[in-house]
Amino acid sequence: MNVTQFSISASSGIPIYKQLCTQIERMVLTNVFSQGEVLPSVRQVASELEVNPMTVSKAYGLLEERGVLTRLRGKGMAVAKQAQEKSNQERLLVLSAMIDELVKEATLMGLTEDELTKLFKEKLGAEYSLADIKE
Amino acid sequence: MSTVISIENLNKSYDKQSVLSGLNWKISQGDIVGLLGKNGAGKSTLLKSLLNIDEIDGGQISVFDEAHHSLSLLSKEKIGYVPQENDEITWLPVADLIKFRKQFYQQWSDEKVNYYLDKWQIDTRKKMIELSPGQAQKVLIILALASMPELLIFDEPASALDPAGRRDLLKELVSLACDENITVIFSTHITSDLERLASKVAILDKGKICYFDDLDKTKENVVQLVMHGQQLSQQQIPNALRSDIKGNNTNCVVTKVDLMWLEEQKQQGVKIDINPMGLEDIFLEITAS
Repeated sequence: MNVTQFSISASSGIPIYKQLCTQIERMVLTNVFSQGEVLPSVRQVASELEVNPMTVSKAYGLLEERGVLTRLRGKGMAVAKQAQEKSNQERLLVLSAMIDELVKEATLMGLTEDELTKLFKEKLGAEYSLADIKE
Repeated sequence: MSTVISIENLNKSYDKQSVLSGLNWKISQGDIVGLLGKNGAGKSTLLKSLLNIDEIDGGQISVFDEAHHSLSLLSKEKIGYVPQENDEITWLPVADLIKFRKQFYQQWSDEKVNYYLDKWQIDTRKKMIELSPGQAQKVLIILALASMPELLIFDEPASALDPAGRRDLLKELVSLACDENITVIFSTHITSDLERLASKVAILDKGKICYFDDLDKTKENVVQLVMHGQQLSQQQIPNALRSDIKGNNTNCVVTKVDLMWLEEQKQQGVKIDINPMGLEDIFLEITAS
C-alpha cells in the first residue's frame, strides 16, 4: 500500500480525516487494497501528505470502529478480514453518496435528466464491454 | 490534557485605542492552533502580551501554570517564539547570533541548526541586517526550533517565507507533532497555511477570541444551507450568521445545523441543500457578522 494513492484537498469544506476515511473505504471495497494488507503508519501518511498526525489517527480509528481496519499489535493497521465481504447494501450506500454529488453537479451544469441518463448508460455500456473483453 | 496557556479578561490598548478587551482563551498541551484575524485585529499584540513582550493593561495570563510576567527560567526555555519582524541584534553575523543565543539554553540542537542553515543556504558570515527579510525570518525560525521548545509561537510565519520555505516549515512541524507533544500557535490571515496542520482554529475579532474550536468540527458545523422555495430571515433560522433571499430561495450560513429544525423542514416538504464550506469562507462569514 502506498501513501501516494491518497489525495487530499486541504482547502475543501470536507475535513481531511473524512476525506481519508472515504478514500480508504472505497479502496477497500473496490479491492485496491487486499485483505490483511498493512497500511502505512500514521507518521508516514502524515509526513507524506503534510497533515497533522492526529488527523490520520482519527481516520484510522474511525475505520477501525467501522470494521474496515483492524489493529495489529506492533504492526499498525491492516485491512480487516470481513471488510471486503460487506453487504451490497453498504456498497450501495457508498455509491449513493457519489451519485448525489454527480446529480448535484449535473444540475448546476444545467443537464437534463435525459441527457444525464444517456451519458450514464453510455458509460455503463463502455464499462461492460470492457469487462467482456477482459473475460 | 493540561493547560499550557490560560488568559482571563485580558485588556490591552495602544494610545487609548483598545486592541484587546476582555479576552479569554485557553490552550491545551498538544493543540496546534491557527490564530486567524484580519489585518490589525491584534494578533501580534495578543502573542506579544502573553509572552510579556508587551505590557498588558489588565487581566491574568498564565503560561505553564505560572504568571506570565514572572516565568521561571525553566518555563522560558520551553518556549520558542518567531516574531513577525526581526527583533534580534541586527549588527551580529548569523554565526555569532546563534552562538550568543545558544548559551541561554540547556537544550540546544546543533544538528537542527546546521541542517536548516544548510538547507536554506544561509550565509552565516552575513549580519542579520544584510539578509533579505525571508532569510532573516528563516534564521529566527532556526533559533526558535534549536532549543527544542514545548511551546512554539509563530507570528505570521508565512509572511516573509517563499512557498518552498513554507513547505519546509510545515514538514518540520508535522514531524514535531509526530514525535513530541508540542503545542503550537501560529497567527496568520492566510487560511490555507493552517488547514493542513492545525487541530484548532481561533478567530480574533473586535478584541476577543470570538471563535475557538476543532478545525474538523468547524468544517462539519459551519455550513451553507440553500432552502428551495423558502424566503426566511436570519431570525427564522437557528444559528444563522446571515441569510440572503435570492429569488424563491434562501441562502444562509449557520454555525451549526439544528437537526430537529432540519427534520421539521423536511417533513414540511422543504428541500434543503447542505453545502460544506472552506475555512477561508468560514473565516469571512464569522468576521463579517
